[in-house]
Amino acid sequence: MRSGRSQTRRLLTGLGFLLPNILGFLAFTLIPLALSFAMAFTDMDFFRHNPFRDEPIRFVGFENFAWLFGHPEFWHYLRNTFFLMLGLPFAIAGSLGAALLLTRVGRRPGLIPGALALATLVLTGSLLALRAGGMSEAGVWFVFGLTAVTALVAGVFTGGTIYRTLFYLPHFTSGVATFVLWKKLYNPQTGPINHALDPVLDGVTNVIRAAPGWFGVGLPLLAGVAGTLLAGWQLRRLRQHWDDATAGQVAVGFGAAMVMLPAGFLLFWLGLSTGLAAGFALGAAAILTILIVRRPRRWGPVCPVDTGLSAEIALALGLVPLLLLGAAGVTLGPALPAVAVTGIEPPNWLGDYSWAKPAIMLMALWAAIGSNNMILYLAGLSSIPPELYEAADMDGASPTQRFWHVTWPQLAPVTFFIFVMGIIHGLQGGFEMARVMTLGGPAGSTTTLSYFIYIEGFETGRLGYASAAAWVLFALVFVLSLLNFRFGNRGTND
Amino acid sequence: MKLFFAACVIGLGLLSAALYWTQADREGDVPVITWITQNDENKRAIVDAFHQWIKDEQLPPVELRIDNTNQDPTKKLVQGVSGVGADLLDLYMYEQDLFPATGMIADITEDAKRLGFTPDATYPALRGDLVVLGRQHSFPRNAGGTLYWVNRETFAKYGLPAPPWRWNSDEFEALGRKFVAAANPPGARQRIYFANGVSRDVLRRGLGLSTFNETGTFCTLDDPRNVSVLARVRRWVLEDRLFPTKEEDAAMAADITGYGSMFSHFTSGRFAMIYTGHWGFIMIRPRGVFQLAAVEPPQDGFPNTEMGGGSVAIYVGTKQREHALRFLQFLTSDPFNRLIVRQADSLPPVPRYAETEEFLHPAGRENEWGVHGAFAHSGRETGILYSRSPFVLFSQTFRIEIETYEAMIAGRLTPAEAAKQMADRINTEIRLTIARNERLRTLYEERLELQRRIEERRAGGRPVPAAWVTDAFHLAYYRAHGWLEEETKP
Repeated sequence: MRSGRSQTRRLLTGLGFLLPNILGFLAFTLIPLALSFAMAFTDMDFFRHNPFRDEPIRFVGFENFAWLFGHPEFWHYLRNTFFLMLGLPFAIAGSLGAALLLTRVGRRPGLIPGALALATLVLTGSLLALRAGGMSEAGVWFVFGLTAVTALVAGVFTGGTIYRTLFYLPHFTSGVATFVLWKKLYNPQTGPINHALDPVLDGVTNVIRAAPGWFGVGLPLLAGVAGTLLAGWQLRRLRQHWDDATAGQVAVGFGAAMVMLPAGFLLFWLGLSTGLAAGFALGAAAILTILIVRRPRRWGPVCPVDTGLSAEIALALGLVPLLLLGAAGVTLGPALPAVAVTGIEPPNWLGDYSWAKPAIMLMALWAAIGSNNMILYLAGLSSIPPELYEAADMDGASPTQRFWHVTWPQLAPVTFFIFVMGIIHGLQGGFEMARVMTLGGPAGSTTTLSYFIYIEGFETGRLGYASAAAWVLFALVFVLSLLNFRFGNRGTND
Repeated sequence: MKLFFAACVIGLGLLSAALYWTQADREGDVPVITWITQNDENKRAIVDAFHQWIKDEQLPPVELRIDNTNQDPTKKLVQGVSGVGADLLDLYMYEQDLFPATGMIADITEDAKRLGFTPDATYPALRGDLVVLGRQHSFPRNAGGTLYWVNRETFAKYGLPAPPWRWNSDEFEALGRKFVAAANPPGARQRIYFANGVSRDVLRRGLGLSTFNETGTFCTLDDPRNVSVLARVRRWVLEDRLFPTKEEDAAMAADITGYGSMFSHFTSGRFAMIYTGHWGFIMIRPRGVFQLAAVEPPQDGFPNTEMGGGSVAIYVGTKQREHALRFLQFLTSDPFNRLIVRQADSLPPVPRYAETEEFLHPAGRENEWGVHGAFAHSGRETGILYSRSPFVLFSQTFRIEIETYEAMIAGRLTPAEAAKQMADRINTEIRLTIARNERLRTLYEERLELQRRIEERRAGGRPVPAAWVTDAFHLAYYRAHGWLEEETKP
């Protein structure tokens, strides 16, 4: 009896401690969540449903969803959201690279400080050269230069702690402050990025003017041949992996799509409509996949459909940018001599329809490299058993082989977690950036689903409609997460 | 630990109580009213003048305080519909129909008659801003049209004549081309522009086209006249380079005043003209003495200028309604209007003050004399409010028009496609509104019937009752052409 009373008291005490959190969770998460779900099926609009209007709220079934799917802007903003998410693999690669670098700084003091010292010298030399070359805005450059040099020198002497702090800086700096900073960096006329690009582009312009024929004909030809060879290599590689049962159907499909994606971009840049270019890319990828997976395997072994997917994703990080560069070379090359006549201007980063999204992706990449992802990778790297590396060394593995056969598979659970979280954040993201940097423009090119929900909810007042959009977003996150769990590589033995 | 937890709870409770009891309006016996507006020198002078006026008129004392932390339109709106708005709210442009539509703005029709601040006390052109669906919701604290400010020194520097007071698009284009060619060395990056931009609305209206039809039931921007306006503006921006693109303009913005670099570029000669309101004096005067003039924007047929202003409305949930009403009454007073004249913050709300010598020819400011009269003329003769429809929020119309225009400038749409997309998207929004809002659906059906009758009468060459035409532009256009019954049968 006494023990029962005591237990009840302890329970109540525990609940008392938890109560503030539970109340906060109820008030700011659970109840709003339930309300928004209910609102998604109503005509709630704060122009008609507020303390000063007594119109009844009507249940409208799935009407909000039907409107949403019939709204062309919804699809436009959904495409924007997915486009901005294309930066995710690069962000993962960046944070992994940063983590590897930071781990190596501590682990191999002899080599890395030397490299850092060399980088310091190069950077200092570059800054001096820029200054000597008549670089304006010298003050700005010296501030940047000094910061970079200090960071590098400090890194040499302190091992890596200062680097970890510096790399993590974007994460604990207020989002709005960094957006304002990037807006200034991106300013086409007064921003340091374009100030740095100006002399480089002037140099490029001079080179093109000196040899217009080479650039007009030679560059597209070279880019086309290189791109074709690279694509052929990847397809041959996919076929071989399929034969060896080291790639499943999903991996082959993904690998083929990664080859055809730049081809789609090439067609789009050559003037084909988005739909046709995307249709060609997807269709060609599907045909190639079918052609490969219909081949009988050499020894008849069977493997799960997602075998080798993580390797394809990792490869795509390097392959796709190279193929895209090739496609860009094919399309841009012929136009270069004409452009060089008037001079090549640096981009109008946030103001140009075509540049606004890549500019935001670049900024997001910077933020993602030094984020929690990097910390997770650092933790993941420190938990890899050293005996695996010793065994690899004894087998005579090169650093690249050590990475692909030890580090990368061992980091698979971390990568999986980062990828899932990245997809979730990517789908939900873009609001702050759009609000602070571009207001969703130019021409809606940086309006993401989350910003669309904000506009519909708080500017247009259609709370029911905005809630429906929010739940569609949730459904997307849910489905993509399920796909990740189904096909993603969570284990360390792939 | 339990004791510590309990102490925290008690401590926080006591602090909350202390905060509540020390709120501003609990400090004294004088009631406090809050006004959401900018907290600048001019507004503080208005607050002081209001306090003095209350004393002079021997009205019950009240303290007016400025709240500038909640100026963001979305913040104002969300606070208002949540039941915690400020007593007095500044309303600008699209807020004039947005806020009353929520029911959060008090209906002051009867009070305005009692205290003398009906729409008749200010510019007739502003009526559509103050009266929404037949009920008055606000009164202006300033008013005015938008004109091109001309820096005559810039034109003289390049040996070109200053623009005429009234001109058409071809004349505008011809002078603009000459200016850009004279001011920018060939082969170099363009740094000097003819103007900061142009109003597409004024150009459309000049051709007799409005955003909506006479009754606001349909967006008419897919009209060929809009296509021609868009094509011309695109040419001015991309080929003739009379104005910077929006991006170039943003890129030139070195300051963070919220007005971009417009004023500094105007005074430094990088913009020969800027398109803005009379309030520009607040920004230009501190920069020095310039030889100024103001001219109408170009138009091909029907002379018009964009009219607007900032008005003040009362929150429906205010506990100090009578004091808030006194502030609106103060806006018609002599001290307030003379203060606005001295501050040069747009036109004073009572039109007769814009005809005084003090306004037209301020002593010691001879360089400005060509500007004040031009703005007074615009407010009196040619100013027309933005076209609005009760069936679609002005903010949506505005956003869609801009977004589609930007897509055209970015080369993603042709002028014809842009015009069609503008109309399609706005009409879709109208359909969404009336599908849900029963009250507006009834009104929409009534207006559709009116529209049918208007078109029938116009086809027969007969005049139309003024009460049928709700669109600000069409009303002015019909009146100017003698198509209104009230005009033909006075």
